Amino acid sequence: MDFDESSNKIVTREFVAVVLSGFGNELIPLTSNHGDEPSPKALLPIANKPMIEYPLSWLEQSGVADVLLICPTSHRSAMSNYIQSDVSSSFPSLRIDLQTYEESQDLAVGTCTLLRHFSSRIQSDFIILPCDFVPPPGLTLTQLLNKFRTETTYDGSIATACFYEASRTDKSAATEEWGILPSNVPIVFDERSGTLLHVDTPDDVDKNNEEFELRMSLLSQYPRTKLSSSFRDSHVYVCKRTVLDALSEKAHLDSIREEFIPWLCKPQYQRTRREKYGNILSPVSNNVSQSLALKHSTLHVPGQKRHLRRKTAEEEEAADEHMRSTVPSPVEDEDEDAVEPSLRVGLVVHRSSSGFASRGNNLHSYLDLNRFFLSQTTYALPSDPENRSLIDHKAQISGDSMIGRSTRVEERASIKRSVIGKHCVIGKMAKIVSCVVLDHCVIAEGAKLEGCILGAYTKVGTKADLSRCVTQPGYEVPAGESARSEKLEVSDWAAHETSEDQDSGEDENEDDESTEEESDE
Amino acid sequence: MPPKSSSGNEKDIAEEDEVLQAVILADSFNKRFKPLTVGKPRCLLPICNATLLDWTFESLALAGVQEIFVICRSYADQVKAAIRDSKWSKPSTGLKIVPIVTAKETFSPGDAMRDIYTHQIITSDFVLVTGDLVSNVRIDEVVRVHKERRRTNKDAIMTMVVKESGATHRTRSRGESGVYVLDPNTHECLHYEPVVGYPATSRVTMPREILAEHPEVEVRYDFIDCSIDVCSVEVPSLFQDNFDYGDIRRDFVYGVLTSDLLMKSVHCYVVKDGYAARVADTRSYDAVSKDILSRWTFPLVPDDNHPGGHQYEHLRGNKYIAKDNSVSLSRTCKIGNNTLIGSHTTISANASVHASVIGQRCTIGPGAILRDAYIFDDTHVGAGAVVEGSIVGARVTLGDGCRVPRGCLIADSVAIGANAKLRKFERVSKKREARPQAAGDGSDGDDEEDSDSELEEVEANQEDAAQIIGRDSNALVWPHPSPDDDEELDERESFYNQRLMRIGDTASDLELSDGGSTTSASETETESDFSGMHGLSRTSSATSASGPLSSAVDPSAETSAIHTLSSAAAETEFRSEVAQSLERAFAEGHSVDNAAVELKTLRMASNVPLRRVREAVVGAIVDRVPLVPGDAAAQRAEIAKIVRRWGPLVDKIGGVDPVETVEVLQYHCAAAGPRLPLFAQVLAQLYQQDLVEEEDIRAWHASPAARGEGVKPGSALLEGLKKCWAIGAKMIEQFESEEEEESEEESEEESADEKPAREAPAAKPPAKEDESESEEESDEESGSEESEDAPATAKPTAPKAAAVSSSSSQTSKPAQTESEDSETDEGSDEFVSGEEEVSAEAPAKPTTPAATVSSAPSAAPAKAAAESSDESEEDE
Repeated sequence: MDFDESSNKIVTREFVAVVLSGFGNELIPLTSNHGDEPSPKALLPIANKPMIEYPLSWLEQSGVADVLLICPTSHRSAMSNYIQSDVSSSFPSLRIDLQTYEESQDLAVGTCTLLRHFSSRIQSDFIILPCDFVPPPGLTLTQLLNKFRTETTYDGSIATACFYEASRTDKSAATEEWGILPSNVPIVFDERSGTLLHVDTPDDVDKNNEEFELRMSLLSQYPRTKLSSSFRDSHVYVCKRTVLDALSEKAHLDSIREEFIPWLCKPQYQRTRREKYGNILSPVSNNVSQSLALKHSTLHVPGQKRHLRRKTAEEEEAADEHMRSTVPSPVEDEDEDAVEPSLRVGLVVHRSSSGFASRGNNLHSYLDLNRFFLSQTTYALPSDPENRSLIDHKAQISGDSMIGRSTRVEERASIKRSVIGKHCVIGKMAKIVSCVVLDHCVIAEGAKLEGCILGAYTKVGTKADLSRCVTQPGYEVPAGESARSEKLEVSDWAAHETSEDQDSGEDENEDDESTEEESDE
Repeated sequence: MPPKSSSGNEKDIAEEDEVLQAVILADSFNKRFKPLTVGKPRCLLPICNATLLDWTFESLALAGVQEIFVICRSYADQVKAAIRDSKWSKPSTGLKIVPIVTAKETFSPGDAMRDIYTHQIITSDFVLVTGDLVSNVRIDEVVRVHKERRRTNKDAIMTMVVKESGATHRTRSRGESGVYVLDPNTHECLHYEPVVGYPATSRVTMPREILAEHPEVEVRYDFIDCSIDVCSVEVPSLFQDNFDYGDIRRDFVYGVLTSDLLMKSVHCYVVKDGYAARVADTRSYDAVSKDILSRWTFPLVPDDNHPGGHQYEHLRGNKYIAKDNSVSLSRTCKIGNNTLIGSHTTISANASVHASVIGQRCTIGPGAILRDAYIFDDTHVGAGAVVEGSIVGARVTLGDGCRVPRGCLIADSVAIGANAKLRKFERVSKKREARPQAAGDGSDGDDEEDSDSELEEVEANQEDAAQIIGRDSNALVWPHPSPDDDEELDERESFYNQRLMRIGDTASDLELSDGGSTTSASETETESDFSGMHGLSRTSSATSASGPLSSAVDPSAETSAIHTLSSAAAETEFRSEVAQSLERAFAEGHSVDNAAVELKTLRMASNVPLRRVREAVVGAIVDRVPLVPGDAAAQRAEIAKIVRRWGPLVDKIGGVDPVETVEVLQYHCAAAGPRLPLFAQVLAQLYQQDLVEEEDIRAWHASPAARGEGVKPGSALLEGLKKCWAIGAKMIEQFESEEEEESEEESEEESADEKPAREAPAAKPPAKEDESESEEESDEESGSEESEDAPATAKPTAPKAAAVSSSSSQTSKPAQTESEDSETDEGSDEFVSGEEEVSAEAPAKPTTPAATVSSAPSAAPAKAAAESSDESEEDE
């Protein structure tokens, strides 16, 4: 489309991207501190790349340059270090504004609060992204943005969300010790117009656990909707700036995903809400140019023009009269001139058939994501002689593995379907199957690992036997120890550290970027 | 049009199944078309100059249906006559139409379905439609899909045909609709949620468990329910089992889908192209008329395949003029688009007809204006009259210059005076000429069975009518319905919701969309102050008494006098209902529990005292016993069989009162002459089944009612009562003597058990033993004791009552008894008494004329009966 090109080039700040990086409570113990060093979730590698790189490159590809990166204060040094060194080199076009907020790992305050706090820094339409969304190859951010651009212009929609179909995790592989499997949230959407109509919230479930409730006003406006529980929220929302204004009205809302977006779906079909928030969400402007132009377009689809505004009786009568005397078609005429903002929330649905997508916000999906990238790559021995020399030629490394820089693999070690980070040492005869081993791990000889995720700096003793375990960064597995389906955490640090490192139950606030504000601006 | 419908698909069906059956529910079960339906069933109202029923037939014929059952209730004669006279009953059509008249108690489609079940007319999958269908959908295709599905999935019992449209399609009912939750791939209907227009249903719910099995479902609110259902044979029987199902959608579909037990599934067939709609209310009458005129129903259009057989010429702008050149159009008249004009109609100068349907032989006066008007046959519209958005019946005369604004319904034969000004939504019918039975006799009512009383009500309200309808009018103005008097109605039939279904009403003042939070409807209804529109008290006849499912009763206007009348009617009604219900239970072998539930419901519905139920049950049981004159054993076996099977029902009707039971039994036997002799035996059986205890018999015997007090002296009833009482007296005597002897001879129990018959030429010893045993032991003994009891107690009364044996004859026969087979006492006793009955019959003749057939029974059947009774007793 013409105008999107122009908008990108000329209007430089069409969008600002707000990337939220939290503690990653669902990824504990991987995100627990290593000694005094925090392990920011955003920097956890997926297939040996920090996970934040995925959304950042997505942003870059679609030409969004301004990024507001929000992370907890404690992560500041690690993050800024990363931005200085890596981001500036790999994404030169991005202008990253790192902002921090004071928050501790177990006292989380919602994403809404965060957004409200930084609203002064967001002066244009914005994109909310999590740091952990790995976008599917087939879906570009531009697609979302274009939908947003079109719909905001011609029918007054206010936001666009993106949901992806969750690939089926085989239940057998999942371990319950890793936390409950994320369940899909039922949503109601209109497939034809791509409109998100209803998101089932935990509150709804609490209110009526047996039944699913739908507003009739929704159905009368969108009489043909889909109700689906096979999708998950990518937490990518493209919003108009006015949405922030509405957000500041709703001071009690906490989580964007669980509360604000479900709420935002409602004014489009509930009349009272529309009356209340319509002006905030879509203030009257004198910008009519493009809608008029679009109307003359041959591609223009007369969309959902029937709004909740009540016609006066006379109008109705007139329309009725008109209908009864002349209509040759059984469908009532839509009054074309009433272009009232629809306040729609657009929806882009990504089917799993067109590419894998996931959020790496819990251990299950973190492992799944790593495995997905493994299946995409084929391992080849490093070409540069320095790294090449580190790999013993007697080591067995399967084709669907990945080994980071400067990692030494000693003889007859066997690595299958695994990701090995940088600067690791894999001892002799060690056997690693379906694992994710982060950077700087040392695996002593004869150790056997299966289905494990080892946090950075983990040391595994000789002949240790771990199966489906997750370790905290810096954990040391004693020689000869065997463990099954456990989260191995460094307990002795708890004595002289703050108790926040202790995992002690997942903080079920599912928004891993859930945060405390209190930031230094 | 059978020749047309012989397509390939249909042949497939024909191969696997001989006949495609269809059932038309010709009754509407509501009164939305009143007063047009006074004196006429709805299905015979014309739409585009052919009756709705004809349109339905046409639609079905198009679909290749070969056999049609028309279920009619009100004005059944008219429906039958219409079927007889229609072209479809000609043999050449290949269509077999069978009218079936249902009971007056049919108040809902569900009742009709139960009726279908009882008639057992359905042999295979069938098409169920309503009598107001206009459709060009290939129903045979639906049937094919249905049958294919049935082949793999036996639980798919029903396929509903729904038409895709928009939520605001004009043919779609705004007042009642539904939300369908479908599996997008299989079109299985996973949930159905009925929706009411006003008060607007604000939210629908669906069970979350749906999502467990079907992660992605479609929620559809854009379907027009065509009321075409392809049902399997199980459907009527499901209605039979769930007697509370009234509506097919709201009760049956909803019930089946939400039931955890039935495990049946319902599918939807989504019609994408094609037309199907019901004329369920005046609004849809308007919409469907327009659809027909705009040719959405092609090939069923006025100029081709007109169901009434008329010939029309189709002119540009969807104007249809009768082809036979009999229409006389003035040179200066204006005929607008979407207009149909029947033959022999005259339209005078300067008249303007716009988007209207005019019947045959009508005259439209000069300068008259018709817009969106529906004028039936033989109507005269006066000069300068204006009719807008209204339905005008047949043979109506609208005076010169009168105005009929939108929403009016004018019934047949009404005359409206000159320059009358009707108000909007006026409903007018003809005054009754002769008071007693002018406006259709009550027994024939569609929705009209209460028309007598309703009309009376209407008549009482005519003070200001004259100014509305003009001076030379014969019309009654019906009061405007008011929102206040329908609290008790089904919400679908409530006033505001009905407004959504009436012609010409935009209902723009009603709050129809759900605001999302508490917004009260801004109500600006100023049209009328009338009240009592629904004053349809149930006085006229038993037919109006409410059945369990009558939804449209409005007790608000009942006076106390009416109340007594109606409660009397309700009782008669109740009795016949119970009789029918028991008849069914007996005939179809329901379980006692099921029968009991049914009775309870009936009782609640009719609000009658428990005693009535008891009377009915006891009466039914006694009447059920086939009389076997001259064979006491066989008779007793019959009684035992019936009482054993159905006796327990007496205690399950909602209260246990054995004394009353005996009393009721007494009165019933005494009243029914020929069954008087049964009293002793039935009582004995009841005793044997532990339904009646000794004390109860004593209590009964002591009661004044048992002696017949309060009964008119000298009547046959009293006579009978006295006899019964005497029998009771003997029985008690018997008890007493037994008790005495029992205390004496306890030691003999065991030995006596073995060969009592031989030891006992007289009845007493075995009786005593059995008595003593029965108190402590099994039913087997009690059975024997009981069978002994009857003759024993009856013995002294033998001269009076015929049903009993005499001791002398008993003693005279023991040899034979032994020779036959007398290993057990009950066998011999049965037999003995059986044989005796024959001899005892002779003296009894004078009192019981019915028992005169005293052919000597052969020994063999008697023995068989005795043995079988033994066996069954022992089995217990």
